[in-house]
Amino acid sequence: MRLIFLFVFTLLLTINLPAQTTINSATFGMMEARHLGPGTMSGRITAIEGVTEDGKTIYVGTAGGGIWKSTNAGASFKSIFDKYCQSIGAIGIDQKNNKTVYAGTGESNMRNSVSIGNGLYKSTDGGDNWTKIGLDSTEHIARIVINPKNSAIVYVAAPGPLWSDSKHRGLYKSTDAGKTWEKILYVNEKTGCAEVDIDPLNPDVIYASTWEFRRLPYLFNSGGVGSGMYKSLDGGKTWKELSNGLPLKPFGRIAFALAPSAPNNIVAIVESNETGLYISADGGDSWKKQSAVANVVARPFYFSTIVIDPKDPKRVYRPAFKFSYSVDGGYSFAEASSDGVSVHADHHALWINPNNTNQLYLGTDGGLYFSLDKGATWLFVQNLPVGQFYHVSMDNKEPYNIMGGLQDNYSWIAPSAAPGGVNNSHWLAINGGDGFWVQPDNTDPDIVYAESQGGNANRINIKTTKAVGIKPQQVAGEEKLRWNWNTPIVTGVAGKKNLYMAAQYLYKSTNQGKDWKRISPDLTTNDKKKQEQENSGGLSADNTSAENHCTIFTIAESPLDENIIWVGTDDGNLQYTTEAGTSWTNVSKNYPAAGIPPQTWVSSIEPSRFDKNTLYVSFENHMYGDHKTYVAKSADMGKTWTLFSSSEFTGFAHKVKEDLVNKNLLFIGTEMGLFASVDGGTNWFRMKNKIPEYSLVRDIKIHPKTNDLVLATHGRGIIVVDDISPMRKLGPDIANKEVHIFNNEPVKLTSGNFGGGSLGGDGGWQAGNPPSIPPIQYYLKDRISTGKLVVEVYDATGKLVQSIPGSNRKGINKVYWNLRVKPPKTATGGSKMDFGGFIAPMVLPGDYTIKLKIEDKEYPSSLQVVHNDANKDFTMEDRQLQYKTGMELYHMHEELAKVVDEINARQKMLKENIEKAKNKKTKKLLEEYHSQLELLRSECLATKQKSQFADEERLRERITDIYASICMQEAAPGNLQLQRVSMLKEELNKAEQTNNTLSTKYYNKVKEALVKEGLMKDGKPVLENKTGR
Amino acid sequence: MKHLRILLFSIASLFAFTVNAQTADEVIDKHIEALGGKDKLTSLKSLRMETNLSVQGMEIPVVQTSAHNIGQRVDISAMGMEGYVITTPTAGWSFLPFMGQSAPEAMPEDQVKEGIDQLDLQGSLLNYKEKGHTVELIGKEDVDGTECYKIKLTTKEGKIRTLFIDSKNYYIVRRIAKANVNGQEMEVTLNFGDFKKTEEGYVFPHTIGGAFGQGDMTVTKIEVNKPVDEKLFKVN
Repeated sequence: MRLIFLFVFTLLLTINLPAQTTINSATFGMMEARHLGPGTMSGRITAIEGVTEDGKTIYVGTAGGGIWKSTNAGASFKSIFDKYCQSIGAIGIDQKNNKTVYAGTGESNMRNSVSIGNGLYKSTDGGDNWTKIGLDSTEHIARIVINPKNSAIVYVAAPGPLWSDSKHRGLYKSTDAGKTWEKILYVNEKTGCAEVDIDPLNPDVIYASTWEFRRLPYLFNSGGVGSGMYKSLDGGKTWKELSNGLPLKPFGRIAFALAPSAPNNIVAIVESNETGLYISADGGDSWKKQSAVANVVARPFYFSTIVIDPKDPKRVYRPAFKFSYSVDGGYSFAEASSDGVSVHADHHALWINPNNTNQLYLGTDGGLYFSLDKGATWLFVQNLPVGQFYHVSMDNKEPYNIMGGLQDNYSWIAPSAAPGGVNNSHWLAINGGDGFWVQPDNTDPDIVYAESQGGNANRINIKTTKAVGIKPQQVAGEEKLRWNWNTPIVTGVAGKKNLYMAAQYLYKSTNQGKDWKRISPDLTTNDKKKQEQENSGGLSADNTSAENHCTIFTIAESPLDENIIWVGTDDGNLQYTTEAGTSWTNVSKNYPAAGIPPQTWVSSIEPSRFDKNTLYVSFENHMYGDHKTYVAKSADMGKTWTLFSSSEFTGFAHKVKEDLVNKNLLFIGTEMGLFASVDGGTNWFRMKNKIPEYSLVRDIKIHPKTNDLVLATHGRGIIVVDDISPMRKLGPDIANKEVHIFNNEPVKLTSGNFGGGSLGGDGGWQAGNPPSIPPIQYYLKDRISTGKLVVEVYDATGKLVQSIPGSNRKGINKVYWNLRVKPPKTATGGSKMDFGGFIAPMVLPGDYTIKLKIEDKEYPSSLQVVHNDANKDFTMEDRQLQYKTGMELYHMHEELAKVVDEINARQKMLKENIEKAKNKKTKKLLEEYHSQLELLRSECLATKQKSQFADEERLRERITDIYASICMQEAAPGNLQLQRVSMLKEELNKAEQTNNTLSTKYYNKVKEALVKEGLMKDGKPVLENKTGR
Repeated sequence: MKHLRILLFSIASLFAFTVNAQTADEVIDKHIEALGGKDKLTSLKSLRMETNLSVQGMEIPVVQTSAHNIGQRVDISAMGMEGYVITTPTAGWSFLPFMGQSAPEAMPEDQVKEGIDQLDLQGSLLNYKEKGHTVELIGKEDVDGTECYKIKLTTKEGKIRTLFIDSKNYYIVRRIAKANVNGQEMEVTLNFGDFKKTEEGYVFPHTIGGAFGQGDMTVTKIEVNKPVDEKLFKVN
């Protein structure tokens, strides 16, 4: 009893105590990610569905990049699934109510690297909002079909888990639009449902294929007695297995399709001992085998798509390794594209617009294509940044280059910043095949190392892209080399010349991979049972090096000592040497004590750069059906381990990364998210910051110069969080303050890193650039809802230089000062826009004060602005002359504005009185003064321009012209530029003089006349009062 | 034992209270209360707002004059020129010489329709049922680190506006308007901040972010319920 009281009491206390601010993603506010893409090479597309009604709203599901929606037939796309699992297996649109969309997560192209889903989602507003509606444990969903006559009835084919037995597979049905689900076709824990289709004319008729399949880390099997072809006549209550004319069981995966316009016609590709194409013309009661070209029967477990034209039952498409079509109902096939642009190999999805069957959308391993002529020619969609990187590296150039390898799509290099922003055109392919590791040489800026699957590594000169093969070879007395699909190529950290590669042995080179030395025995378990890859595939052989096992997967040299090297294997060994390979210690027996299953795949090793004995290791066990996040730390060379744990964690772990500066700042990348800790691993939070929340984060790097966090994602390309230094500084002490303004590093004066602009468009992926000028950063504990927020910049004399509206969000805010003074006030009232009022000279080097003002509170900070000595073409003397001249022109603008203001005011007064004056003479005098002023005004600024294509240039425009040139260049003014300023100054003086002369000539006369007319009193014009008197 | 049950019940209700899901109407009622209440809002008939749009240290004055459900006029002075945009329930014009226009141009009908709900000075959420709008509480969502209620408003004309209402103070901090221009779906996002009460008791945001696709607008002066000359809503 007392315990309970105590419990309640504590509960109340905890509720009432002011909570300590937890550091999480929101703490870092505006520290947001930049998505580099590329769109040049995209990623695997797994599902495409379009809205029949308009033929231009298209949803595209991807292997690891979520869902992308286009409302313009593919001209532009928007990512609409950033908060959820990124692996998409199927999309279903309720065409009767086409804002209703279902998304099944977990792709079902069951290759070695396939990701895992976490259930079925539904949107009723075209993808703006999603709700998870169940089937959480299915892991893979292959198809969603909605009854075309009754929106409440939905079927979902779930092949189910790839790596383990499971009851959560089979065909599911909902009769209440997804609220509840019933499993209506289930064979056993090894067999799921691979395909479902519905007879559109008689929607109680359902067809489904079941599939028995399984992967082990070292073997794949497609096929078994569970696989079969089924039909139901009563919406799935009862089923009949179809066999008449089909080959003998066992079957593997069966892909099939009904002809929508004549649904008794069915084509099916049946994987079996006689894999082939089978056709039925009687709703599956009988089947006939057809001779089929290689493409039709290629790799059934991976190419499971066959589609019949919505209008023409004879026209059949088989997107597979290539794109085949038939015009005779499947009796014969040919390649659709003989002359046009060839599409990327390996196809998984096809959508045909039912209202215009010429219009096709094709999903491949390399992205999305569309055709307007039934597949004869194709256009590649270049703005889907869904590439699947395995690893990422950077060099030390300025701007630095980013490089990495893509699943099925080569190895690439691109600058992190470029004139006009990084776009598709900046990406250069440097190596073929599937890409994995790309490593720059530490000493030779022209050399990188890259590979294709199975360790086929090259040394590549990036200027010429010429390659030399460097894969270590088996020599006498050695076992056959076992190369991982994703073989490590690693350069030294402490030893800059060192290059490592590994099969079951570790190799080291100190001459760029020309010569290698084997520096280890077999470091794996060398378990022969796990090396029978030649039997992989099941009914269809499939041995592509993807199943190679008992290999070294990760290598890491200590940043503190080149003789300490760590190696992790795919079969759970974790070994190190402290003598650059002379002897090895295996510590794999130690980590299970921390809760990590034995023999778990070692996915990454991060030896600490602060302590030789400390290391972080990520493990992953998903190939045994275990998706937990295993990341551990050892401070004693692997003797004892501490497992990191957090309720935030999701997904199996690929990478752990220690910061380069703050040893308490750690990152973890998993199959479902990026996580960070600022306290050495005690507390973790999911990094959002414009990073899709369940991104497949395969690799993490931090750039030593720019402090950029660079992520290799397996589905969203390269993601860069520019400058994460606030994460290093922001501990609980700052997080608990209401407001904190960060001290600024000295800022080099620059107008930006690049000039010019770029002509964008919807055609390609635009990644932009990091800011050229570092922002002023401050932290707000909470969003400021009430109170004006402004950042003011003062020079050393205390003069206000510029005032910038601040942002008010919770966490880190960034305000950009362009290092310039406030622009001048320029002459107004012309007929042409003038940019002079937007331009301002850059400030001079010196000490500036930054004041963050929140309503009446002030938070000061200082900022040192320095001259950029690196630019030899722009000396400090040049800068001073530029500033002096710029300010001279600045003042000229303001002086001219004064003259024009005066003219405007006088003209206004004259105009009003012209109407009121009774005496003709007075009227004439006023008109004369007005027109003299107009003459002067029309010299001061453009007053006659009628169209933007008829350029008029007067004094204001002339000043702006030279003012803009001088202020925007990073160079001293040239001789003629200076002469031009003097000349314009004379013109300005003349205008001022004319104004004074006119004033002298007319002022007294006008005054006298107005007094006489009773329009002026006490030297001021008489104003009408409110009653009109 | 009885005490224990009561205690457990009170613990349960404590949690129940904190996790009790609010309905859309409860959220909207609190929002309206936060803005001064139903009566106050109903009395709002006209508004004149002077603002500054800040671009690179340059301030562009923007004046917005609105008469409830009659019209709205936005005057912009930039680069020595004056421009304006007028919208009424049936028509709209723009004259933006800095965008190359040399004479006022009529707005296409679909664009006029997009702006109709903006003419409702009292806010679409006030008496939304009577106005023919529908609302849906989608749930809670994080807006730049601030927990908000996400309300989807479908206007009488079928336009979708997503409103994010701060769960602490019930102000709208973000509004995403889905526009359909020339058949193309577009989203216009505005962020609101610095909520202050006028002397008359109306609450208005004094910063509007994302206006014109860039920069922050800062409100410098607000006048309410002053007579508005309807000539302002005609092309001059």
